[in-house]
Amino acid sequence: MKDVQYLVLRKDNLSSFIAHLSKDQKVMAPVSKGYGNYAFEEVTSAEQVALKYIPTILPPKKFFMPQRETLIEYNLQSGLEVNAVLEHEKMTLFGVHTCDLAGIQCLNMVFSERPKDYNYLLRKRGISIIGLECNEYCDEYASCNIVNSNMPNGGYDLFFTDLGDCFVVHVNTQVGDEMVERTKMFEKPSRTHFDAFMALREAKSKIFKNEIPIEPRDIPELFDRSFDSEVWKELEQKCLSCGNCTNVCPTCYCFDLLDEMNLDLNSGRKFRKWDSCQLEPFAKVAGGENFRKSRAARQRHRYYRKFEYPVAKYSRFFCTGCGRCSRACMADIKLKDTLNALIKERMNKLWIKWL
Amino acid sequence: MDKMVIKESRYISKKAKILRSVRMTSNEMLFEITLEGGESLDHEPGQFVMASIYGVGEVPVSICSSPTARNSFDLCVRAVGKVTHALHKLEPGDMIGIRGPYGKGFPIRILEGNDLLIVAGGLGVAPLRSLINYVLDNRRDFGKVHILLGCKSPKDMLFINELDSWNERMDVHYECTVDRAEPDWAGNVGVITTLIPGVDLEPERTFAVVVGPPVMYKFVIKELLGKNIPERQILVSFERHMKCGMGKCGRCQIQSVYCCQDGPVFNYEQIKHMSEAF
Amino acid sequence: MKKPKVAFFDFACCEGCQLQVANLGEQLLDVLGAIDVVEFREVMSEKWDKDYDVAIIEGSITDEHAVERIKKIRQRSKVLIAYGSCATIGGVNGMKNGFDLEDAGKYVYGKDYKFFPTIKTHAVHQVVPVDYFVNGCPIYQPELVAVLKAALQGIPYYVPDYAVCVECKLNENVCMYQRGVACMGPVTKAGCNSWCINNGNICYGCRGILSNPNESGAKDVIAKYSIPMDMVMNKMNMYNKCRELGENE
Repeated sequence: MKDVQYLVLRKDNLSSFIAHLSKDQKVMAPVSKGYGNYAFEEVTSAEQVALKYIPTILPPKKFFMPQRETLIEYNLQSGLEVNAVLEHEKMTLFGVHTCDLAGIQCLNMVFSERPKDYNYLLRKRGISIIGLECNEYCDEYASCNIVNSNMPNGGYDLFFTDLGDCFVVHVNTQVGDEMVERTKMFEKPSRTHFDAFMALREAKSKIFKNEIPIEPRDIPELFDRSFDSEVWKELEQKCLSCGNCTNVCPTCYCFDLLDEMNLDLNSGRKFRKWDSCQLEPFAKVAGGENFRKSRAARQRHRYYRKFEYPVAKYSRFFCTGCGRCSRACMADIKLKDTLNALIKERMNKLWIKWL
Repeated sequence: MDKMVIKESRYISKKAKILRSVRMTSNEMLFEITLEGGESLDHEPGQFVMASIYGVGEVPVSICSSPTARNSFDLCVRAVGKVTHALHKLEPGDMIGIRGPYGKGFPIRILEGNDLLIVAGGLGVAPLRSLINYVLDNRRDFGKVHILLGCKSPKDMLFINELDSWNERMDVHYECTVDRAEPDWAGNVGVITTLIPGVDLEPERTFAVVVGPPVMYKFVIKELLGKNIPERQILVSFERHMKCGMGKCGRCQIQSVYCCQDGPVFNYEQIKHMSEAF
Repeated sequence: MKKPKVAFFDFACCEGCQLQVANLGEQLLDVLGAIDVVEFREVMSEKWDKDYDVAIIEGSITDEHAVERIKKIRQRSKVLIAYGSCATIGGVNGMKNGFDLEDAGKYVYGKDYKFFPTIKTHAVHQVVPVDYFVNGCPIYQPELVAVLKAALQGIPYYVPDYAVCVECKLNENVCMYQRGVACMGPVTKAGCNSWCINNGNICYGCRGILSNPNESGAKDVIAKYSIPMDMVMNKMNMYNKCRELGENE
């Protein structure tokens, strides 16, 4: 390992850096969609990239587990020919915020757990990741501080920190180093760069605060005691079951497996597509029984899949604090409000006990 | 997007052939299936497979034959949805796909040496048949064996010939009941819980194994606890609509557990606090 | 295998869905390779006097002649597919049901209205049993092909019973409500790949209302964005008025 892991890229070199990368593969970066919305789309120059952006409509999970992915192809003629296939594409993601890096790390854990999902793991190999530091807080929906995803915790090949006229770049992997070597645009940082970098991190620690009155370590216990909470019943009234919250979530990975025949009725494929625990038929079984029939039960399930179940299984929250679920909810179901309501209800119960 | 054929995939099924199909009731058929090349399925009683009709879809089906029958296995299928209806139209010689076996079955090693109280409601007899036939094939490894069976009406009874043979065995205590009966029915009438009080059992050395429709569990378990059977010794098997079978797709999740990987067989102590389980 | 005999029929409609079929483009060749079209007024003049394997019905049922005709077609068809909003949910023809039928007749035909007796607008399944539904105004071509394949395979096709929002979000559209425009997406059945919104239009609810919408929640959302309720009802009734028809109407 080289001892120098920090480099500098001048901002006026960003365009040629992206152009260089996009020569032999797609470069996906956040672009503006208007009305304060952003999406990861293919870019070929720095002008298209929104360097200051709030979380995109869909997280970068769409590149790791495509919305629709063919897994098996078959032909019923010629004695039933069945092949497992992988749809893949070599690409670089540019400008991935730390919340989304955390989201990808969560997905990596799920799909590399045995039995491993080869389709996911093989596709992931072809994707390089360039992170981008958040210098400021996105908006009132974000809660990245409480889950500690406002600071980089790995999960990238290169990590860019915007210092105005240049980026300080952390080289984290061999793949990142090769990008540096190949493009030949990076310089050694000076003392001034480091001072500015440290000042930025210092300033961040003042801007990013936990606005939810609970210590992260106490969250699983809060959920342990909140399964029958009234808070879920309130969500029953509000939720439209549109599935927006799960579709935009960087750590939701539920899917459906389906068959599709070609018109020749001889060849076809099995594919998976994103599914959502918020949709009514999700937990229905053949006999008609639905084990999460109410919207309240489905919303509760979503929250437990972020703050309790994965903590036991993977020792981490599956909420990255990106705020997408709250931003995308037409019915104003906000993650922070829900957590606050659970905490308040719990405190009230404790008071009643003491009195 | 590039596409390539890969050697390893969790989603590829083994080719399997239907050897025999038997209509058991107006709604249920029994299929005897063999994997291509005579390969053994190598399952445990209580496990399930994903059965696939190419071009239609895949469904989870519990294996209803004992692993002691090596070259083929049985699936009992109720026609309820797209894939199961399509399965019913298949004939001997037709090819299907089989993935699996998946899940944790009945813990045979733990059951050995103990008494068994097997309670089957409706289609629940299908997964239990894999256990019952295993136990009967290895009868001396187990203590007393009680089999209680319940279904809606006599015409809904599955595996009728085998029920008779269980009934005739001197080393099995077998009883059955129906919810509703026609006048020519000579047996018990009433829900399955009515059979439990009459069973003479030693709770400490008895494992109860219960499989049936969701509504049945609550009542049967209450009876069993009333008989002082320890919670850890009450085993259940749940039906969920598994899609991947590998703890990923989320369909079969019951709170913190995945039915397809952690189950479908659970002991009552594991899941008694989970309201989504019942 | 013998190709199934397929016939297309139209009732009260604009024939726009037939146009969608004719415009299938490259896929039309694949479709025509799989079926034998025996009647299709938009593209051919031949008639077929035997039974149909599949009858594909466009348009809603708006007078007694139509009731008789659709019943006869049903008798001659093994499988019946309703396609397009007019056939599947009554569609825009259903707006008539908001008026007195005599007034409606006078408005359209003037003093001769008695020569054109009319009935309340019905979706096809409100008159005869329907095996498959292809919703939409016009139909979404990929869905028609999917339904046709299901019909040829003899397996059911399930119309998604979740909101258009699901597909819209997957297409990363900016939400219409965020743009300050009322959209029927949250209460309308998906399956169209949010076609209209992808192209900058709102959802008009042409695929029919969800079977279990959260009405009070939807009202809260409408209030939150300060949209007048009667405007929303007008939008809803543009395509979905026929859902109010009683069992014996």
